[in-house]
Amino acid sequence: MRYIARVEVSLKPGHSDPEGETTKNSLAELNYPVRDVRVSKVYTILLEASSVRDAERMVEEMCRRLLANPVKDDYKIRIEAAE
Amino acid sequence: MKSLYLRRNVPFELYEVNILDADDEELLRISEELGLSLNLQEMKKIKEYFEKNGRNPTDIELQTLGQTWSEHCFHKTFKGTIKTSEGEVINSLFKTYIAKAAEELKKPWCISIFEDNAGIIHFEDDIAVAVKVETHNHPSAIEPFGGAATGTGGVIRDVLGVWAEPIACTDVLGFGPLDYDYNKLPPGIKHPKYIYRMVVAGIGHYGNNMGIPTVNGAIYFDESYVGNVVVYCGCIGILPVKKYIKNAKPGHRIVLAGGRTGRDGIHGVTFASLELTEESEEESRPAVQIANPIEEEKLARAIIKIRDLELASSITDLGGGGLSSAVGETAHKFGCGARVELGKVPLKHPHIAPWEIYISESQERMLITVPEENLDKVMEIFKSEEVEATDIGELTDDGRLRITYHGYLVADLEIGFLFSPPLPQRFAEWRQPRYEEPRFKEPRDLDEVLLKILASPNVASKESVIRTYDHEVKGNTVVKPLCGRYGGPSDAAVLKPLNDSWRGLVISCGMNPKYGKIDPYWMAASAIDEALRNNVAVGGRRVALLDNFVWGTPEKPDRLGSLVRACKACYRFSKGFGTPFISGKDSLYNESPLGPVTPTLLITAVGVIPDIRKTVTMDLKNPGNLIYLLGKTYPELGGSEYYGLMGFIGRSVPKVRLEDAKNTMNQLTKAIDSGCVESCHDLSEGGLGVAAAEMAFSGDVGVEIWLDKVAGSSSLKRNDYVLFSESNSRFLVEVSKRNRERFEEIMEGSTYSLIGRTVKEKNFVVYGLDGEEIVNLGLKEMMHAWKRTLGG
Amino acid sequence: MKKEDVKICIIRVGGTNCDRETKRSLEDLGVKAEVQHLNRLVRKGSLQEFDGLVIPGGFSFGDYVRAGAILAKSLTARLRGELKLFIDEGKPILGICNGFQVLVEAGLLPSFNGISDYPEAALATNIPIGYRCMWVYLRHENFGRCIFTRRIPQGNVLKIPVAHAEGRFIFPRGEANKLLERLLENDQLVFRYCLEDGSPAEGRFPENPNGSFYDIAGICDPSGTIFGLMPHPERAFYGWQLPDWTRMRRLPRFADGRIIFSSMIEYITRKF
Repeated sequence: MRYIARVEVSLKPGHSDPEGETTKNSLAELNYPVRDVRVSKVYTILLEASSVRDAERMVEEMCRRLLANPVKDDYKIRIEAAE
Repeated sequence: MKSLYLRRNVPFELYEVNILDADDEELLRISEELGLSLNLQEMKKIKEYFEKNGRNPTDIELQTLGQTWSEHCFHKTFKGTIKTSEGEVINSLFKTYIAKAAEELKKPWCISIFEDNAGIIHFEDDIAVAVKVETHNHPSAIEPFGGAATGTGGVIRDVLGVWAEPIACTDVLGFGPLDYDYNKLPPGIKHPKYIYRMVVAGIGHYGNNMGIPTVNGAIYFDESYVGNVVVYCGCIGILPVKKYIKNAKPGHRIVLAGGRTGRDGIHGVTFASLELTEESEEESRPAVQIANPIEEEKLARAIIKIRDLELASSITDLGGGGLSSAVGETAHKFGCGARVELGKVPLKHPHIAPWEIYISESQERMLITVPEENLDKVMEIFKSEEVEATDIGELTDDGRLRITYHGYLVADLEIGFLFSPPLPQRFAEWRQPRYEEPRFKEPRDLDEVLLKILASPNVASKESVIRTYDHEVKGNTVVKPLCGRYGGPSDAAVLKPLNDSWRGLVISCGMNPKYGKIDPYWMAASAIDEALRNNVAVGGRRVALLDNFVWGTPEKPDRLGSLVRACKACYRFSKGFGTPFISGKDSLYNESPLGPVTPTLLITAVGVIPDIRKTVTMDLKNPGNLIYLLGKTYPELGGSEYYGLMGFIGRSVPKVRLEDAKNTMNQLTKAIDSGCVESCHDLSEGGLGVAAAEMAFSGDVGVEIWLDKVAGSSSLKRNDYVLFSESNSRFLVEVSKRNRERFEEIMEGSTYSLIGRTVKEKNFVVYGLDGEEIVNLGLKEMMHAWKRTLGG
Repeated sequence: MKKEDVKICIIRVGGTNCDRETKRSLEDLGVKAEVQHLNRLVRKGSLQEFDGLVIPGGFSFGDYVRAGAILAKSLTARLRGELKLFIDEGKPILGICNGFQVLVEAGLLPSFNGISDYPEAALATNIPIGYRCMWVYLRHENFGRCIFTRRIPQGNVLKIPVAHAEGRFIFPRGEANKLLERLLENDQLVFRYCLEDGSPAEGRFPENPNGSFYDIAGICDPSGTIFGLMPHPERAFYGWQLPDWTRMRRLPRFADGRIIFSSMIEYITRKF
């Protein structure tokens, strides 16, 4: 089976997000009442797996091994069957 | 109704264009519908050609002609005929002015000028230096990050395109005022602040990622740049002279290497030869290229390996016009024909029509020709660097360009015809703008005036930009863009490119768009003088120049008139200074709904210094030294920062007095070589006041100056004029007391004046023409004014 | 072993770009230095032929995902056994800038309990944000564990440039102080950003150019043979590379970065 995994990697709460902070300031300059901006990175992964659970297990591992640095990053995984 | 486009019965998209039956109006319609940007004269010549051949062209043939004949690729304006309002007939601006000086100067150290992707000059022993500067204005206006990044990527490939290894980049940028009113922006034009941030980020992204230091540059702000951002990207490379190989022959394979080909960057060159309109943003999206510096880094490694092993017979980059330019120019240059199978070109995505493949400007691609017996080795090298390379055809001996797509012949043109577009005849008329010399009272508080000029965006520190560029990578940057104790503005960058030699390369630039508003002739002269001044100030000599014109639409006589004037100055002063032009590029059609660009000429100067240990920087070194002003000061404030601050342009544009200028520069070089120059800074925007202030706070050394000692000051009569006149060919020099006699002996015969001294107190004090104190500022206060505007 | 027999491997992949000047620095000190593409090193299985390894600066694999992350995984996945052997034999590994990011991402630094499967620290986005190329002062904090700085007296100040956008050294939140203590206990702290006089930067910009925790600029592993730092010693090797050499009475022959390479070589010649 083919699955599409959508992985969102973002900074853990409490970690400074200089990119978000800079974007916030820039939007404020344009006169938007922006309170906070957080930036995250999204990976869309097409993969082969025997089941949703199997896919989840693999993507979880990908996150721990490469996509996220546990010191600063959180990640969210969403998996659906591909067409 | 007759049909203009007939789909050919082949298993892919290919149209025959019925130009044989087309009348003038329809010819123009075809040009417009296919995005060819060809005019009627050109379309008629194409029709004539195909009439002779008794058939209609295919879409890919027309597109190939459109690309090859574009202003961007063929430089029709510089090659065509110009009649001026004064009755002159100029047969090629390029030959008459730009190239002529170099031809007449016959410098033995010029190896290849104006004939290849970059100019090549001798450096030391068997090592040469290649230099190229490009503009990337149109793409940067539409997508500033990608436009600036690919501008850098493109000029790096130009240098690789003469077998040179890139060692440094330069960037000179022009933006609208950063505080421009958002409400005044026409639709489709981005705010200068956004463009500024993204352009700077784009340039840094490419150079930093590739590991090429960005060592020299400048930033100018001008209202006319709001609609016409100016992005100049330069690159310098080195190569062993004997590895500059160009001996392609029929039978050699044509190898395309690097990134894959996609729909990005279709019609980039024809787009660059058009004015920007409100719709440009949407229409031009496909013209924007995507940058991948890592791909180019790998490509560069492979190219240099192939060079060192002498496995290929020629090289060129894929830039404007994509494959169509690269294949056509290679065949043309070596008197060959070419056969190309487009089906072999690796694509980013399927379903791209053959004409799109042939003219796509996808980035990070190079074309080399390889003798059959070396092909395997070449492919092996590309593979080892993880670079995709494909044999797409061969050079032939029949003088024809034959393109097939999966075996079907889709184009068959004579190379000779491809490179003989009809050249335009244009009319040029220049009228001196009627600016008056302003009359206003001398301000009482010159402290405040000086601080304001230091803080004005054109003068203010560019540190916040410079630090985002890696200017140290490769470890050969001897004089960095910022120098002294507190990040002073270096006049030029000095590189030490060879491990076993002390010889240095000196890179500087000059640009004075404000003077161009008064007279483009003196603007060009001043830009040359400034570029040379900057080079000489650190110890550079034996200078080669590059010209880069950014102008408006040449079909408009006034735009062309001012271009002609600038070119005339280029000839006179290049010849006069003995500094040949070795390469250049023009970007025309810089017009937006807000109007034309202020005519802008960038002069890049590349000199050498025999021993980098003799290099001089601009920061004052020690208290107790003498300050000399070299050159004479004239009442020349037209287009100056000072007049600008007061709300005027003025008329008295700075001139260049060749003999005096040469004298000063030659003597200064001798003084630097003798070791008696502690620091040296050229006088440019803001004149004596700004130059002296910059030297003082950069070195954290106080200074006292007497204006009545300034040569020429008696004719200026006003303190503010003496302090802020922008007369050319002037330098400030710091000399220790014990070297006084030696220095003055060397300077004998040129105009110089002892105008001040360095002091222990950290203050900047100026005494006026009557001996009264007219400026007294703390060094820190001046430095903060200078650093605050754009951020430190 | 004799100096001229010492052979150092400078590893590179697409995007590595400080390999040439790093090689020049090592060769200037009289050893052999070879720039090796990772693919070649893997194919030939030749890591053990070398006496030391340098991961130079650049943007390995475009710094996609995170700076250094892909090369880190690539190294540990493709050279796992060989790398372990190399380290166990006490052969030194130096990571400069991107190389430091790689070592941290690979779990080779700080490596409190041997090579870690997951990063124990991070080199996060600079605060203030942005790529920055500038000279900084570094205070040497190591008491002798780090073999790359043994010749530098503790407390000495070095001047070396940085050029990066992701150099803010951090530990996991909540554990930072505990891990710092451990780092100090093990004598793993090597360089801290400081003022010209050696007093700590205390997080102040621009002396601390990236907002690093505890002004950390470089650390080593518990054995002292693996060392990573954000500043570029190869750009501070010769006197003429200094930003202010024109202010000096006499041009010095060398600059402060040289001692890091010479210490590495001295260690090798003594040990092997």
